[in-house]
Formats: sequence, C-alpha cells, structure tokens
Amino acid sequence: MADETHPGSCECSPTRSTPMGTPLRKVLDRISGFATPWRSSSALRGRRIFHRDVEREEFQYAATRCLSSYYSVFVARLAIMVMLAILIGLLTILTWHFTKIYTTKSLNSLAYGLRNELLQRPILRMWNILNSTSEITTAQVKLSEYVFRRYNKPDTQAEQVELYESMRDVTWALFASRKALNAITINYRNGFVQAFHRDHRSNNTFYIYSDLVNYSISASGSSYEINSLSSQQGWKDQSIHGNISAVWYQEPLDPITGEKTGKAKPIPPDDLINIAGLSEVPDGVASWHVAVSKYTDTPLLSAALPVWDPSNESIVAVVGVTTALYSVGQLMKELVEVHSGHIYLTSQEGYLLATSTNAPLLRNSTQGPKLMRAIDSDDEVIQMGATWLQRAYGNNFSQSHEVHAENARLGHEQYYIDSFFLKLKRLPLVGVIIIPRKNIMGKVDERAFKTLVILISASLCILFIGCICILILTNGVSKEMKLRAELISHLDARRRAEASSNYKSQFLANMSHELRTPMAAVIGLLDILICDDCLTNEQYATVTQIRKCSTALLRLLNNILDLSKVESGKLVLEDAEFDLGRELEGLVDMFSVQCINHNVETVLDLSDNMPKLVRGDSARVVQIFANLISNSLKFTSSGHVIIRGWCENSSSSIDIEKFPLDHKKSQPAHKIKFKQQGSHTKKACKKENKMILRFEVDDTGCGIDPSKWESVFESFEQADPSTTRTHGGTGLGLCIVRTLVNKMGGEIKVAKKDGPGTLMQLYLLLNAPADGTEQHYRVDFSKHSLVVLLALHGRMGRLIMSQWLHKSGVFTMEASEWNELTQILREFFCIRRSARNNGFDAQHSLSEPLNTQVLSIQDMRNPVFVIVVDIGLLDLSTDIWKEQINFLDIYFGKAKFAWMLNHDTSNAIKMELRRKGHILMVNMPLYKAKMIHILEAVIKERNVELQKKSSNALRTTKESNLHEYHEIDTTHFDVASSDDSDMPEMRSSNSICGSLDGEKRRERITKPCSSGYQNINNCLVELTRVYSKENYLTERDPCQVGHNSHDVQNEEPKCCTQASLSAEPQSENADCREQHLVSSCPTAQGNLYSSKAMNEQKSLEGLRILLAEDTPVLQRVATIMLEKMGATVIAVGDGLQAVDALNCKLSAEACERDCVCEDRNTRLQTENRDFPLYDLILMDCQMPKMDGYEATKIIRKSEAGTGLHTPIVALTAHAMSSDEAKCLEVGMDAYLTKPINYKLMVSTILSLTTRTAYVKRELTNQ
Amino acid sequence: MELGQMQGRLAEYTRSLYMEGILDAQFLQLQQLQDESNPDFVVEVVSLFFEDSEKLLNDIARALDQQSVDFKRVDAHVHQLKGSSASVGAQRVKDACVAFRNCCEEQNVEGCLRCLQQVKQEHYLVKNKLETLFRLEQQIVAAGGSVPMAEMTF
Repeated sequence: MADETHPGSCECSPTRSTPMGTPLRKVLDRISGFATPWRSSSALRGRRIFHRDVEREEFQYAATRCLSSYYSVFVARLAIMVMLAILIGLLTILTWHFTKIYTTKSLNSLAYGLRNELLQRPILRMWNILNSTSEITTAQVKLSEYVFRRYNKPDTQAEQVELYESMRDVTWALFASRKALNAITINYRNGFVQAFHRDHRSNNTFYIYSDLVNYSISASGSSYEINSLSSQQGWKDQSIHGNISAVWYQEPLDPITGEKTGKAKPIPPDDLINIAGLSEVPDGVASWHVAVSKYTDTPLLSAALPVWDPSNESIVAVVGVTTALYSVGQLMKELVEVHSGHIYLTSQEGYLLATSTNAPLLRNSTQGPKLMRAIDSDDEVIQMGATWLQRAYGNNFSQSHEVHAENARLGHEQYYIDSFFLKLKRLPLVGVIIIPRKNIMGKVDERAFKTLVILISASLCILFIGCICILILTNGVSKEMKLRAELISHLDARRRAEASSNYKSQFLANMSHELRTPMAAVIGLLDILICDDCLTNEQYATVTQIRKCSTALLRLLNNILDLSKVESGKLVLEDAEFDLGRELEGLVDMFSVQCINHNVETVLDLSDNMPKLVRGDSARVVQIFANLISNSLKFTSSGHVIIRGWCENSSSSIDIEKFPLDHKKSQPAHKIKFKQQGSHTKKACKKENKMILRFEVDDTGCGIDPSKWESVFESFEQADPSTTRTHGGTGLGLCIVRTLVNKMGGEIKVAKKDGPGTLMQLYLLLNAPADGTEQHYRVDFSKHSLVVLLALHGRMGRLIMSQWLHKSGVFTMEASEWNELTQILREFFCIRRSARNNGFDAQHSLSEPLNTQVLSIQDMRNPVFVIVVDIGLLDLSTDIWKEQINFLDIYFGKAKFAWMLNHDTSNAIKMELRRKGHILMVNMPLYKAKMIHILEAVIKERNVELQKKSSNALRTTKESNLHEYHEIDTTHFDVASSDDSDMPEMRSSNSICGSLDGEKRRERITKPCSSGYQNINNCLVELTRVYSKENYLTERDPCQVGHNSHDVQNEEPKCCTQASLSAEPQSENADCREQHLVSSCPTAQGNLYSSKAMNEQKSLEGLRILLAEDTPVLQRVATIMLEKMGATVIAVGDGLQAVDALNCKLSAEACERDCVCEDRNTRLQTENRDFPLYDLILMDCQMPKMDGYEATKIIRKSEAGTGLHTPIVALTAHAMSSDEAKCLEVGMDAYLTKPINYKLMVSTILSLTTRTAYVKRELTNQ
Repeated sequence: MELGQMQGRLAEYTRSLYMEGILDAQFLQLQQLQDESNPDFVVEVVSLFFEDSEKLLNDIARALDQQSVDFKRVDAHVHQLKGSSASVGAQRVKDACVAFRNCCEEQNVEGCLRCLQQVKQEHYLVKNKLETLFRLEQQIVAAGGSVPMAEMTF
C-alpha cells in the first residue's frame, strides 16, 4: 500500500523481483521502511489539511523572513569586510609611503651629495691641471721674456745660439719641475722650435729642436715691425714654409738630469708633438685647446701664450704647454673603482676629454687621431648616458644648466645622471657622472620592495583573517539573528494566535445575544406548542423531545459563552454574601432527582467547621459544583457521589478527626499535598480575611486514566472519546470549572483514589463575611436525649449521617432494609417495654452491637425516638406498602416518624401517609440541614406535647396531631413574629425586597409567610409546603374552603403560580431557586407539568405592570404579551411619564386603599399603603426625554423614605454583562434583553412579584 | 381564486419571506400572540412599526442632511429603529441598522447615507412584502377561509 502511493519506493519494487542479494534487499526494505512512517505522517497531516495550510503559510512566512535576514546579514558582512580591506590597505600604503619616501628623500640627498663630491674631485683635478698648465705657461713666458731681454736683439749666430741655449735650460728647468707636463714648446719667430717632450708611455724624455741652419736671424729680424695682422701673416707663411722645409731633431734626454743620453735623430716636423705656433695666439692672449697627438692616446690640453719682446710690441715667440688629460682619467678611474659608475668629461661640443673607463678617447681617422664625441664612445654606458642626455636636453647645454636625473633608464638599468658645467675660458667643460641606481639605492630599493611585499602580504593576511573572523563572528550573530527572527516570528505568530483567540472570545461574547435569542425563541415556541391541547400523544412526545434537545443546545451554548466570557476577560465575579451550605444542599437536591433515577446516591458531607456565610459569586460557585456533580453523575452508573467540604484552618489536624469515614483513610495522603499548595496562600488569606475552602467530589464511576488527569480540564476534552457517544457532553464542563476555580484563586485537580472512580479535589479562596462573625453548622442535641433510627437505603448517606449525628450527641441506629427496620423496632420497643415492666430480658435475638446500643439507650431518661424512614424501604411495586405503613402505626405514639420521599413518590402514598398522621416528610437526599430541621421539629413537638400533657387530657390521635401541628406552627409563628414584632416596617420591606438579602433574613420572611399560609391550609408543615400547595385544591377541607371562600379567586392562581415557579428546576433565576430550596422540594416536573401549562397562560393574573417603552411596536408587543398572561399593563412612552405615573398613582391608590381597608386595623392599613401600586415596572433603557437608568434612579430615590421597593426590570438591546451591571447599579432588579423572550420575561416577572403577592395575600387574608 | 390555492400561496409566500431572511422568529411570535381578543394584532403592530419607522427614517434623513451631523442623534434613532424592527421580526432591516450603527460609530457621513439608503430599501421591501402578505390573508378571510398558522420552516 505504501509502495503504491510513493513513487520512490515504486522504483524499488522491481529490484525486489530481480534475484538480488539479500543484503541489498534488506537495505531497500529498510529504506522503504523509513519511507513508510514518513508517508503515514504525511497522510495524517493531509487529514488535517487546514492545519497544514496554516503551518505552511507560517513556514513560508518564516522562510522569507529568514531569507531576507540572510541577505541583510550577507550585505552587512560584505560591508564590514570592505571596510576592513580599505582600512588595512590605507594602513599599508601609509606605512609604506612613510618608510619609503623619507628614506628615499634622505638617501637621495645623500646620494646627491656623493655624486657632487664624486664629480667635484675630477673637476678639481682638471682645474688643477688647467691651473698648473697655465701657471707653467705663464712662467715659461715670463722666463722667455727675461731671456729675450737679456739677449736683446741677438745679432750674431752665437748670441742666437746662446739665447737658444739659455732658453733651453730655462725651459728644461720648468719642464723637469712639472712631471705631468707632456711637452713645452717654444716656437720662435724665425721658425726655430725648441720643445721638450715627455712620453708617458715609454717614460722617455726628448728634446726636440729644429735645424738651426735653415733660419737666419736677419730674415727673422726684418719683419718684426709689421703690425700684428701682417706679422701673423708672416708667421703663418713662415711656419708653413718652415714646417715643410725644416728638419727637426729629436734628442733623448735623461728625464732627471736633462743630460743628453742619445744621439739626436731627425724626425719629420710636427710629427711627434704639437708645436703651438703663432696661429694659436692670434690676438696675443693665452689660448686653450684640446689637442690630440699620434703618440698619446689621450687628448691633450694645450695652452699657448705669446712671448712679447721687451718693448712689448711684437711677439717674439709662442710658448705652448701641453698637458695630458690622462691623469684626470686616472683619477676618475680611481674614484669609480671605489664608488662604481662612470664619469666623463666632455667639451662643450660633446667631445670626450676624459672618462673613467678604458675606452679609447680618440678615433683614428685618415687624418690621424681625432677626438671622439661622447655619444660615439665605445663604452656603452657613456654612450647611452650621452644619448639620453642629448635626447632629454638637446645638443646644447645652456651654460648654467646642470642636470640631475635620478631615474634615467639606460639599457636595463636605472642610473643617476648628473652633469656639471665647468666654466673655463675658451674651454668650457661638461662633467657627467652616471651612477647605476643600484649602487646607491640598490639596497634601499630592495628593502623597499621587500617591505612593500611584506606589508602587502601581511595586510592580505590580516584581511583574510579579518574576513574569516567577521565571517565567524557574523555567523554567530547571524545565527543569533536568525534565531531571534524566528523567535520574533514565533512570538508574532503566538500573539496573532492569541489575538485571534481573543477575537474569537470577544466575538462569541458579543454574539451571546444573537445566539441566545433564537434559541430562547425556539424553546419558548416549543413551550407554547407543548401547552397546546390539540397535540396528539406522539406529537407531544416529539415536541418534548425537541424541547429537551433545545435545552441541551442552549446549555451548550451557555457553556461556550461562559467559557468565552471568561477567556475574553468579561466575567466579573461578584462579591456578595451567600450561604454556601444552602447552595450546595440545593444542588444536591436538584441532582438527587437524577441520581435516584439511576441508582446513585448523592451525599453531601460538609464539615462542621464550614462557615455558614461566605462572600463570593454564588452563581459561579454553584456552577462549579453543578458541573462537577453532573460530570460525576454522568459517569457513575451505580454507587455514590459524595461532595465533601471543609474549611482549612490553622488547626487542620482537627479536620482529620472530623472527617467521617472512608475519607479518613485517603485524607493523610492528599492532605500533605493540599497543605503544600495551601501553605503559601494561607498566610496571605489570613490577612485579607479570606479562607480556603476545600472540597472533594468523590464518585464511584468509571474513573479517569491518570495520564488524562491534566487534559480533562482542557476544552473539548474527554477522558475517553468514546464516552461522548454513551454519555454525551461537549467536554466543556470541566474546562469552565477550572477556569472559574482559578478565577476564584483556587485550584482543581484529579487526585488519586483507592477504589474505583474519580476524586476531584479543589479549593476555593472565598472571602469571609464582612461582619467577621463566623457561623457554623455545629449543633448539639445531646441534652435532648434523642435516639435516631436511620432506616435509609443508601449506605454512604446513612453512614455519614449517623457519624455526624453521633458527634452531635445523638444516639443512632441504622437499618438498610425493611426487615432490619422491623426487627430493630420490634425488639427495641419490646425490650423497653419489658425493661420498664418486669425487667424481662428479651435480647436473645438481638445482635451484640445492637444489644449494647439498646442497653445504653435504656439508660437514657425519657428518650425521644426519631425514626427516619426511606420511602424506598417500602415495597412500592405492590400494595404491600400499605400494610407496612399500618405496621408502623403501632409505634406511632412511641416514636416520631420522618419520611424520606423520592421526587416521584406517588400522591397516593403521600396521602396515605398524611392520613395516618405522618406529617414529617422530606425529600431525599438527607443532609445535615434537613436532619436538623427534622430534629428541631421533633423537639418542639415534644415540648408542646409535654406542656399539653400537663394541662389537657389526650385527644384522639388524629385531632391531636392536627392540632398539635397547628399549635407547633403557631408557636413557630409566634416565635418568628415576636422576633420581628418590634420592627414591622422592617419586615414588610424585607418581604418585598428580600430577594437581594441574605439567607438568614429570607428564612425569617418565609417562616411567617408559610405559617400564614399554613393557617389557611391548616395542616402543613413547612417542609412539605410545596407538596401541600400542589395538592391544595384537593386536600382542602370543605369548612376551610368556606372559611377562605372570599379569597379563593385571587388566592388560587397565586398559589399555583408559586407551585409552578417552584417547579422550574432549570430556571436561571436565583430567587426562584432559593424559593425552591426553602421549600426543600426538588419538584417533580412531570407531575406538575399539565397544571403548570394551564396556569402559565394566566400566570401573571392580577399583576399591575407599568411598561415604559418608547418604541410603539415594542410597546404594543410587550403589552399584548403581558396581557395575554393576565397582567394589567399600563404603558407609557418614556422615563418621565413612568415616574409621573408612579407618583400620581401612588397617591391615588393610597387613598383608595385607605377607603377599602378602613375596617382593618391600622397596622394593616399602613402596610397596605406601603404597597407599590405597580407590582412591577418594565423599563426600556434607552428612551427619549429620560432614559431608563435615570428614571430608575428617580424612582428609587422617591422610594427611599417609604420602604417601598417596586421591582424594575430593564429592557435593553444590549446583551453585555456590563450593561447588566449598569442596570443593577442604578437599582434595577433584573434584566431582559430585546427582543423579548416570552418565557424568560414571565419567569423573571414572577420571581420578582411572588413575594409581593404573598404579603398581599397574607394581609388580605388576615 | 380557489380558497385552497390561495392558502397554499400564502404558505408558500410566508415561507419565502422566512427563507429570504426578511422575517424571523420574532414575527412568528407576533403571530402567536394574535388571538380572538386581538384579531388584528399583527397588522396593528406592523402598521405601527411602519408609521414609527417612516418617522424615524425621516428624522434620520433630516439629521444627516444637516451641515454638521449629530451622530449621537442619528445613532439613537437608528437604535430605536433597530429595536422596533427586531420586535417585529424584520430581520433585514435590523441587520441594515446594525451596519448603520457601525457607520455612525465611525462618524462616516457617506457610509451613513449609504446605510440609510440600504435601510430604506429594506424597509420598503419588507413593507411591500408584508402588505402583500396581509392582502393575501385578507383575501383568504374574505373568501371565508382561515389563515393558516405559519409553521417554522427553518
């Protein structure tokens, strides 16, 4: 089946059919096995499709919320990460920047200095060289001039030679002193040349001179006077000619001494060295130039200076000094060796003068060696540097221009390039230094790079870790956020659910009116239908059935509404004094009817320490117990239902002793629990004048499974679902009970029980009455020496009652069936008689305990015997009961009989009993209050009897009995009236407005009422009043009829009204029920039904009702309704009219009454005058001119002095309890909702008017 | 028309009134109240209702016509109308009144006017229906038949 529904396992099924290995199959089986529960659960869920839809909706809602929160978290995460990245990046960059820039700057400045320094040195050397050259030149010139002056105008060859010799010596001296000099030349005017030359390579020194033969002195002397221009011309020609023609000799010399070391050999002119001629000093000032020679591989710096003749008119010779720039290059090399890099010097035109490299500076061309340009240098670096410079700054350096380039890229490397301009006259020089950047900044750059790398990697690491941290952190946060979001959504959902549930409750509470009205209409109409005579039996049965169902439905509705009222917080508990015991007795009475039907005994067992009066909401307390008892009864088919109650005092140990019977054994167990619960509340209670009342409802039904002990208090929950079919019900009862109990500050729970059945334990926190005097039920009958024989069918009730009686000082005996009763009676009285007469011992057949009892009774002086007989002991199925009653006649004089009747005991039996003089009749069940009544009645009777005995002779039994009762009642009445005699006004007012007063007063009122009534009826005990009322017409003696004939007309309906009123157990009206309690008669509805139906038609006969209603329609309808029921209706349109009507009528009626009643005594007159002229006012709440509330206030105010109280019933379209509260607050007595419910109106009116009717009747009768 | 047929029509008509929710159980109660002593009770009450409600409707219309609408007064009128219509059993008028009162609580003039129209409409509807009903009854009575008691059809 599962496989069919689930496609997933459908795929599995073919594999099963194939011959598979068992393990795999097992696995598959398991998978499908897993799938099955899931599927079944889904099917289960499918059944509750509604719920699931809601759930899914919730889920989706939550999912979208999660998603959105997830996105928001994601975005937040991203933002934080980006911010972190930016921060770290900034930090890195800043760090790097600072370290790098500042280092670089300082390093740069350092490097700059270094470079400057580096360049400075070769330049300085250059400078030195230039300087020394110029110095030498100058010195040579000066010496030459000196020599010439000495040999002024040599005319002879010899002089000439001498001159040359001396010149040679001088020149040698200078030449020798300067080792760096390359050559010194002296070119004479006549073309003679003297020169010293030092070859650095071979380290040889030569003396070079031209052939002296070729030069004549005359030739040279003749042309001395020509001007400079012509002389120049002359020089030029000469030199050219001379050069061509002259023969030069080279003579090696010892470089140190200057001695001739070798033979002179002729050399071609101008071959070895550059001889500075006149051409080089055209303007007669020193000149510089760079020269090259074939024999040196470095450029030569040569300076030329003319030697003027002494007269300073003509140039006699030209001195040339040549210095090799070799040493500069050497220095550069040295420098570069230390510092690396390249240095070179160029002329302004770009010709290389010196470099730090070994690259050749000269270029060989066809015309001999020539200077090389820097850009053509063989050294790559220099070439590239020159090229770079040229490219960057063009060919010409401006003179002041200095270049400092830091990042020149040459080839593959970075270089620093700095150039300096050296300003020399006629020979400007440019120094260029090229240092590879690596050399200076290499480490720094490396470091910087490393630092950068480290920084970047570090920051990346930090970023990464930071991101992870953020991820982790935000993950936690996001998880928390998710959880929180979920929580919020859950809370939201819960709040919404609560709100909706609250709406539901509110809605239901608001709907109360709408829901109840149609139900009330249905029920009312059914009642009308039931009253109809023309129904056939079947129809009648059907209608009755419908009536029952409708009532059940209404009850259910009321339950739901109660619950919703409580839930929506609209239920306000009232705080009024009430007699708890009486309320519970009433309940037991009510339920006993049901109990007896199916053989269950209802027993009320209230402890003596129960306070008589408590404050609280009686209706709700009653509702609690009604629900509990009905619940117990529902599930109990046989056995008993016991309601126990006790007051929790500080002396709880006494309670245990007081607790009767089987309660004792279960007591200690839950006592402890209760104590625990109660201990903390107890202290608080003491202060607030509260008391804890504990109750138990104990039944012998089917019981509740312990696992359901909690859940039975939930809404719509029953211990066993199947019980709904057998027992019906909605499961709301216990829920309402718990809500109410909790509301009263109590608790309820199911407790463990030994036997079968359920034990409900609850406690309520109720206020003690305001006056503080606690009244208890405790009575003491010991001084009356009573003996009670309890002949009761129910075991529990009998046991509890006998225990209690025993404690109250009453001697008890028990009998559970007829035979036992007879035996006890017979033997007991026999013994007494015999004991009295002759001491004959006839105790042989008696059982031992009875024996001792009897013996102890014998010890009593003049005991009073009370025999309580359950009518159930009689055999009612046949006619034997008559004989049984007859049998009891024997003992009639000796003992007092009290009969316990069932609600369905037939009239015949009652009549028979009454005929026999058994007047003390009470309805089942028997509880303390009833017992006390019985015993009190018996005691009073005996007292009277004793009095009579002393004064009068005995009458016949029946007469005396009648009389006796009459007498008793009179006494009773007298006592009561003497209580009240000093305050008649008070009494009358009580009798009218007593509905809201305490029970005690009620008792007082009803006693005179009933006694008055009994006066008429002549034979009624209070306890059987209703019964006798019912049978009033048939029972009445003719003479009495005659006596009362003038009253009959108005008496009869009222009487019946009373009866019918009492005959409504389901009436919601408290007064009604109280009335019914007082009369102690859970009525037999069935018996009364027909008569009631008849009477209800005119149930309001004789009542005068003032109707204040502005809406004409409603006015008309209500009028007709009331008139149909026999009431006299006076309708007015608004509150003002109502007040007016009441006032004028009051006076008018008062006069009228005075006239009518003038023959009566004065007290009656005043009483009569005090009667309200309307028995009731129906007051619409919303009216023009004056609304109902206002009118009521005025009416109540006007009544204040007179002691009158006209019942006012509010008519309102509002169905809320607050309106009800408002109505009651202004002094209205009851409350009816529109549209008017026929039946409810009647019952309300009746409940409010009956007392008036009673008093009226009583007074008129007198 | 034949008497039986007419009675049938009356019953049918009455049932339709209940089914359409124009009347409710309250009207039935009214009919129950009618007997020999008050032979024209229903007609009397209903005509009272119509007189009253016409007056009320006029009052309401006038109150709503004012520059500044006194919602309390309107509400009071509507409340009265609701009460009387509930008493007669004119369910739909009553329901409309409930809506009307909500509008009054919200102090919504437009809503009130709309509700007034609604109430008027329901009022005329029930008036027409009831007039027809009474005419039918009269015809039956005139024809010598007795008006059958309406039975609970819901």
